[in-house]
Amino acid sequence: MVVVRRRWFQAPWEFRESALFTAVSVIAGFVIQVAASGRGIAMPHLPFNAIALSLLGVVVLIAGLAFKNTPAVKWFGGIPLGLCLIFAIAVLSLIGGIIPQQPFAKESLPTMLGLNQIFSSWPFAVTVLLFLANLGISLSWKLIPFKMQNLQFILFHAGFWIALSCAIVGSSDLQRLVVPITVGKANNLGYTMESDTPQHLPLSIFLHDFSLEEYPPQLLLYDPHNDKLLMNKAQAILEVRKGTTATWQGIEVLVLDYLPSALPGPNGVPQSADPKTGIPFAKVRINTASTQREAWISTGSPLLKPDAAQLDGLYLIMMPGTPKSFRSAVTVQDEQGHETMANLEVNHPVSFMGWKLYQMGYDEKAGRWSKLSLIEVIHDPWLPAVYLGFFMIMAGNILFFWNGIKRREVVK
Amino acid sequence: MIMNFNTAAELAIMCWAIGSLLSLLASRTPALKLPAFLLSIAGTLVMAGFIAFYWLALDRPPLRTLGETRLWYAALIPLVGFLVEYRWKIGWLKYYCMALATFFLSINMLHPEVFDKTLMPALQSPWFVPHVVVYLVGYVLLAASSVTALHNVYLQLRKKGNITGESVSHFLALLGFVFLSFGLIFGALWAKEAWGHYWTWDPKETWAFLSWLAYLGYLHAFRYKINQSKLQWYLALAFIVLLVCWFGVNYLPSAQNSVHTYTQS
Repeated sequence: MVVVRRRWFQAPWEFRESALFTAVSVIAGFVIQVAASGRGIAMPHLPFNAIALSLLGVVVLIAGLAFKNTPAVKWFGGIPLGLCLIFAIAVLSLIGGIIPQQPFAKESLPTMLGLNQIFSSWPFAVTVLLFLANLGISLSWKLIPFKMQNLQFILFHAGFWIALSCAIVGSSDLQRLVVPITVGKANNLGYTMESDTPQHLPLSIFLHDFSLEEYPPQLLLYDPHNDKLLMNKAQAILEVRKGTTATWQGIEVLVLDYLPSALPGPNGVPQSADPKTGIPFAKVRINTASTQREAWISTGSPLLKPDAAQLDGLYLIMMPGTPKSFRSAVTVQDEQGHETMANLEVNHPVSFMGWKLYQMGYDEKAGRWSKLSLIEVIHDPWLPAVYLGFFMIMAGNILFFWNGIKRREVVK
Repeated sequence: MIMNFNTAAELAIMCWAIGSLLSLLASRTPALKLPAFLLSIAGTLVMAGFIAFYWLALDRPPLRTLGETRLWYAALIPLVGFLVEYRWKIGWLKYYCMALATFFLSINMLHPEVFDKTLMPALQSPWFVPHVVVYLVGYVLLAASSVTALHNVYLQLRKKGNITGESVSHFLALLGFVFLSFGLIFGALWAKEAWGHYWTWDPKETWAFLSWLAYLGYLHAFRYKINQSKLQWYLALAFIVLLVCWFGVNYLPSAQNSVHTYTQS
């Protein structure tokens, strides 16, 4: 058999032409990026982005179907170009996965080329646009005429097309604002991540109460000379409870008594107090080779100094536990008079008139005494479209999985 | 706690070692086949039991730290080996799988982690277990696919034809890709509930996307009928991207602000 090598640009085009085309497109993207002096893309808002996206979809479908047998369109919707574009997206994502995506010095190379905001840069946009065209054309061939055996292909590829395009095109309509509120007050001003100027929201949030629950405090041995916390023999985080024991080299500690919420009383013995003001206290017995003694230790609070037990230049201390949960009791109101009461907690957002409210943070220095709660409010009109794409991908995947395990024969 | 882990790990490794030995001897003495299989599977059952016990002791899913994820891999990877033997009658993969599981357990024995029951609020979600477990299963399948591909490359270099091996690495990659896709989307759905948006190009997300693309690329190259023998190299190396995503991300400059890094202890 004589193998005839295909010359450059001789039809049908394959990997060489696709690779060249992809490389030129990415370079063109970088050139535009530099020419635009490092500014990313400003995407139009609704309804213009939706119109533009629909147009793209229609153009791609018509091109795919009407010019199905044209070599150029065949190549444009083919796997070689698709693979090269996937590779280009992977390389650009790799840049984004290595270089921190945060502001750099203005004249620096990463800023000029948009490497520090790669996912909103021109080269990324150009590549994704071409990829959507490639994916869309290949989809059009399987879509019409419809065949049941193409269902898995259609669900996966159409789902990916919808999710990717709507996530990117819809990013301009995404509103994310942080609303800081103090207990007993209402606020209708929100801040974006980029700017210090507050924006008026169509809703106002009143904070009734902020509460934070902590894990039990921890018992730690601190070495001030080396500024180090010494690990105990059991290699465990020691939760302070009545009866907790701990062992370090030559030191044994037993918790004799534990008051989760107390205040210092007369003659140095702490007394139980209201959880709003009290702090954890523990009575410990410390045994070393030569001595045995007992002491009260505490975590301290913004108002009370912590109590530690000193032993041979080391300190036995009690650290407040890490936050277990925190929540804000709020009333949300919009300008039309709709109102709702809700408890906001991490992983438990609340929907209100097209907005979603999230417990975001609090004054971390004050810990459980924080009077400030940070609520994030989010409006994303494109979310249902993106989710539709996600669910189509998953449905396609189930079919893919099913066919994958069903097929027993050897791959040829 | 440490002592319990060491006992369980040593017991599991012993089961796998003796099981492998008997399995090798079974080619001459077929009667050993059943005890070999039972012992090998017992090793995995020991690890599964330990995970269940550890889950109860921690009061939270043991999926928070790198060491905890290694426990799951150690329990799951041998299962893929047994599955491949059952499904495609390929016996050698299970030895690699049990060796890999032993390797993971050894790392955990050499670097004991701090026993810590706390779970930050963002992880307290019904999505936590499905998201991580689906990813674990995906990684396990792709690890097995990569090992198979490596074995195929070795056979190629020794000029031995091996069509069954190539179809095994392909199907494992296909199944792994399906799990990877589910993990990615579960992650996005959870992120929307916990952090307000389904995709923020957090370094871990970016790398998860990259590894997904790597296998997406493979499946299309396969579909285009690119020489399947050459693709064995690709499958063998693609797993490196997954390794970066699993723990390598922690060491990259971009990871400073990641919300996804495993707790280091």
